[in-house]
Amino acid sequence: MLITKIIGVILTVCSSGAIGIYFSDRIKDRMNELKELKKIILSLRGDIRYAMTPLPEALKVIASRHEGKFETFLEHLSKELNELGGITFQEIWKKCVEEDLNETALTKKDKVYLGQLGENLGYLDKEMQINTIDLYISQLETEIEELTGSMKEKTHLYNCLGIMLGIFIAIIII
Amino acid sequence: MDKRDEILKIFSLNLRRVISSLELDYEKLQEIRLRVNGPLIVIYDNKEYFITKDSNLVNLQEEAYLVSQNEIRETMEYISNYSMYAFEDEIKQGFITIQGGHRIGIAGKTILENDKIKNIKHISFINIRLSHQIKGCASKVLPFIMNGTEDIFHTLIISPPRCGKTTLLRDVIRQLSNGHSKFLGQSVGVIDERSEIGACYMGVPQNELGIRTDILDCCPKANGMMMLIRSMSPRIIAVDEVGSKEDIEAIEYVINCGCKLIATVHGSSIDDIKTKPILGRLVREKIFERYIVLNNRITVGNVEEIYDARGSIVYKSGV
Repeated sequence: MLITKIIGVILTVCSSGAIGIYFSDRIKDRMNELKELKKIILSLRGDIRYAMTPLPEALKVIASRHEGKFETFLEHLSKELNELGGITFQEIWKKCVEEDLNETALTKKDKVYLGQLGENLGYLDKEMQINTIDLYISQLETEIEELTGSMKEKTHLYNCLGIMLGIFIAIIII
Repeated sequence: MDKRDEILKIFSLNLRRVISSLELDYEKLQEIRLRVNGPLIVIYDNKEYFITKDSNLVNLQEEAYLVSQNEIRETMEYISNYSMYAFEDEIKQGFITIQGGHRIGIAGKTILENDKIKNIKHISFINIRLSHQIKGCASKVLPFIMNGTEDIFHTLIISPPRCGKTTLLRDVIRQLSNGHSKFLGQSVGVIDERSEIGACYMGVPQNELGIRTDILDCCPKANGMMMLIRSMSPRIIAVDEVGSKEDIEAIEYVINCGCKLIATVHGSSIDDIKTKPILGRLVREKIFERYIVLNNRITVGNVEEIYDARGSIVYKSGV
């Protein structure tokens, strides 16, 4: 009986701790993904600024250079744009943001910002593209900065909370 | 991708449906014209037709399919690959060249800055001119251009619009570059300012221009001619539609460098060219050694006459 209780306590604490670790890992993943996204957008800005590359071509080239979580998103975007299927760039961008980023740790707010980027891309002249991208990069930088400031505390908090919750449940069970 | 697909993919969905159902030989299709609230028109086998809603070619305007503002907007999105900014420089000149070398002429409201055209907005008129590659079409004129087995004459191809001067130039370049039994292939430098000659797509020529050809794509002719001579040491320089003061200065530079030149110009005869203020001087100074005059009387690209430097006819068509 005692052994069963001990095993139960260990399992509860471990699984609860694992949940804590999962949430703290999500924060780290989000940080890495925001940085990766920034890198991608910087590449896009470079392609537009120096080579005036059209969006489908630029996105395809960037997709081939990135192997991270955004590869599917970029490839899907480029494919949809090349199909010229009667929907606008904004609609295609929004659709890809909604469909292809579910596996990422990006928050709803991150996706809203990314969706807004697509609303003005392709529209008007080169200057407009650069300004739109610069605005998005500054939004990304703010997010990364905020996350950097709170990441250490938050991950520590989630880890502790996980274990504490496990212990709390274990005490109740005992 | 074949010519039909290259052309169809740039149209809005509605227009694509109407045009794709037409039974057309795309080799005979010359132009497709879209005008806001105007009839959908094609120039096919040298004749103008209206296209109906049911995808038929007719001569009656009343039956024609009317193109809407939205269809033009959607078509422009596809032409520019959703990236109008990428074509800023082309739009300033009033045309965009797409994959396959087809030229899309556009008109609408121009935006001026310091008395120069900055852009065109409210694009309401589109003219799609199909590029045709006809291998062998230059065979007839080559003996008149060749000066022995390794050299050619400075040549000017004179032609009104839609008479096939770019098509002829393309084949001349291909044949001179590849060479044949009576002519040793020479290195040719092509300055393709409007991407019409080589139709480069992502740097790769879509039209065959020969094994000894180097192409400077989307480069202003005047700068390009000098750049190519310095960098690629071509024996022959080929350019399309010369005319500006800078072009003429560059032509003089090419000729003084010992390169041979093949150029095209809009016009209907030598006399017409002589009246042009800058280019006319080169004609009077007998810089060009051959003039090929084209018309479209029998078919597009019909060689009407070929002249030498003094203006004597060396070839005359029966028509």
